[in-house]
Amino acid sequence: MNSTTDNQLMEEVKEGKVERLAILFERHQVPLYNFFLRLTGNRGTSEDLVQDVFFRILKYRSTYRGESKFTIWMYQIARNAHIDHLRKRKEEIPLEEQWDEASSREPGPSESVEQLQDIVLLRQALAKLPLKKREVLVLSRFQNLKYKEIAELFDCHIGTVKAHVHRATKELGKIYFKLSGGMVS
Amino acid sequence: MKCKHIKVKFPDFLIGELEDISKKEIQEHVSTCFSCREELESLSEIWTKLGVLPQEQPSDSLRSRFYGMLDAYKQGLEQEKVKPRVHKLQGGWLTHWWPRQPAFQVTFSLALLLVGLTAGYLLNLNGKKVYEVASLRQEVQGMRQTLAISLLEQSSPTERLRGVGLSYRMEKPNKKIIQSLLDILDNDSNVNVRLAAVDALYLFHDNPTVKEGLIQSLSRQTSPLVQVSLIDLMVNMHERRAIESLKQLIQDEKFNPDVKNHAEQGIQQLTY
Repeated sequence: MNSTTDNQLMEEVKEGKVERLAILFERHQVPLYNFFLRLTGNRGTSEDLVQDVFFRILKYRSTYRGESKFTIWMYQIARNAHIDHLRKRKEEIPLEEQWDEASSREPGPSESVEQLQDIVLLRQALAKLPLKKREVLVLSRFQNLKYKEIAELFDCHIGTVKAHVHRATKELGKIYFKLSGGMVS
Repeated sequence: MKCKHIKVKFPDFLIGELEDISKKEIQEHVSTCFSCREELESLSEIWTKLGVLPQEQPSDSLRSRFYGMLDAYKQGLEQEKVKPRVHKLQGGWLTHWWPRQPAFQVTFSLALLLVGLTAGYLLNLNGKKVYEVASLRQEVQGMRQTLAISLLEQSSPTERLRGVGLSYRMEKPNKKIIQSLLDILDNDSNVNVRLAAVDALYLFHDNPTVKEGLIQSLSRQTSPLVQVSLIDLMVNMHERRAIESLKQLIQDEKFNPDVKNHAEQGIQQLTY
């Protein structure tokens, strides 16, 4: 119904029609929330970070250049917000411990016990990956970003991104295998 | 050599963005190379498995916080629009008087500085110190209020707590701070921030807006902790108008039985 592109909307926000940001928020809040959730493992923090990203978009709207996709610019801001959050956080809470709440809940109607166990193990495995590998993997697997776009986001060569995805997937597989006690179904 | 050339294509294979020729090349290679086949299989397996991780929905408070922030930002922009006109006027006036040669500009500035210093010295002699201290205090108070408001609008709960903490120290908070604290009490997603807002507002309970806001807020609270501390506050304020709200609370099924007990005790204390 509404076919205005993200880039057009952001141009309007830049020109002062800040209320147009609401459409961008409605389009991207859920994927962005899940991006942070997979990086931090904490629901409250992830909501705070989404709010922070949209605040920064308003604050820095004059620096927006429409040459690349809006989502690339948005994820650039998101990565910075996440790094600032890590810097500010004084006591380090290991990521694996943050998912406790989810791991102790009952399976939903559409989930089997095995599936729930898989979810818990995968989250733990993902949390054990170094940040950059986790970011690349989450962006390519869940956020629907193309390798070319991730390369633009990280300001590196597309070949480097592919190599990172390859290594991260391999490492994740190994960690998952270890956590599941060496028995992969 | 061949293996390296094939493995480079694995990431594109995972996302399913490979031309038919390359796909065929990989299939042919792995049919004879055991180690590459094993690697591709384990990569594909974990890649597919990641699909079980569900997409979650953020809570409703994210949306209301976003629209709150957007409104506040729009208001700020509209207020700024009024200012540039004043600048223009000053600009025109200044360019008329301002010398064009850099050497004259420096002399002019020095002269102005000298005039300022002399004026300051004379004023000091005239015993206006008391007045200056008073105006400085007012300025600090103003700065503190601005800082508190900006902290109250931050996305991080820790920053908002700092904002609430700062508003404690104000002698006479302005309307905006009171409104921000009441908004926090009603809408903040974090219980700790809401509790701190109750404490801060208690200090200003003589203000009619605060009193009204606190009574209204009782029925909107979802956390028993905040409800209990609001009930205590009503009792401490000897606010008889709250009896009606407390009675309603006792009737309402959604409230926790402990909170209802507390409300009953509160009503008794308020009636006698």
